[in-house]
Amino acid sequence: MDAASGVGSELPLAAASETEPAEAFASTVGPIYPDLVRRLVLVLGDAEEARDVAQDAALQAWRAWERFDGANPRGWLYTIGLRLAFNRLRSRRRWIQAIRRLEPRPWDGGSDPDLWQALRALDPRVRAAVLLQVVDGYTQAEVASMLGVPRGTVASWWARARVSLRRQLDPEDDGG
Amino acid sequence: MNETELEARLTSLAAQAPAGELGTGWRSAGRRRSAAASIALAAVLALAVGAAALAAGVASGALVIPWTAGQLGGNLHPAAENPGQPLAGARLECMSPRRAADYLAAHGFTKVAWEVDADGVTTHVSTPPAHGYVVPGAIVDGTLTIVIDQRAAATGAGSCAGAPMP
Repeated sequence: MDAASGVGSELPLAAASETEPAEAFASTVGPIYPDLVRRLVLVLGDAEEARDVAQDAALQAWRAWERFDGANPRGWLYTIGLRLAFNRLRSRRRWIQAIRRLEPRPWDGGSDPDLWQALRALDPRVRAAVLLQVVDGYTQAEVASMLGVPRGTVASWWARARVSLRRQLDPEDDGG
Repeated sequence: MNETELEARLTSLAAQAPAGELGTGWRSAGRRRSAAASIALAAVLALAVGAAALAAGVASGALVIPWTAGQLGGNLHPAAENPGQPLAGARLECMSPRRAADYLAAHGFTKVAWEVDADGVTTHVSTPPAHGYVVPGAIVDGTLTIVIDQRAAATGAGSCAGAPMP
């Protein structure tokens, strides 16, 4: 189902001034939303938690819709979602320390569990940076801005992640 | 395994991750916010936070005020060693913090903020830390910020990959 049209068809009859922003929001965010959830699954490691965070991200995006200039909706939504995810991870650590339980239901990695295991060994911020750069094609400067770190940090993360992934996936690989 | 294969596997993995559809919760939350409430909220926000703080994307409690796409493009802080930046070619990366501080002082950079990343905990200090790798920093609001990697598993990057941590 086309996410944008699917959501749009559920919109209630309302004054045009109220409906148009909602339609514009749905048609902009709807097509990006499934990819946001996928990235969040890989950052958080849990599909249900990823869907929760994605919903929160959509809510925040909607509240900020009037201020959004429309130039880079994917980067804008990813930025909101990833920052919420990192907040969630910090809360999760505190929660685990407090009650010493909470069993996430991790995603199994699909057809490439080895890569997923290697990816999960990375710090979540580094994992996010790798995905944004490799899968989504953002530049290091864009990733730096999205994650709120200097560009040099992203470059450093990427260099180390690449070596770490290659070594874990192929122990004989010298990483060079 | 070469770079292309790694990228192909990452892309395939990302495509296999479970997705989700945009629900309708955002609409009901949006509708609850009437026009009057919006005006009141805007006034309160403007008074409490201030336009400058909003523009900087400051977190307010648990709610992170999102960056706009315009800020995404315009708020970048290029690494201080990037071409055209004040420390282009300085080769600070992998130096010890103290050596970097000496180098910077000798070149007139006396105002340096040190951002230390130690196993997920980031702190800011005004003096160079005792150990760690230098990661190229950036100049933010007139202050040179140098990032120091002190993570236990840090192994250096680029030409110093695998070198012991200073």
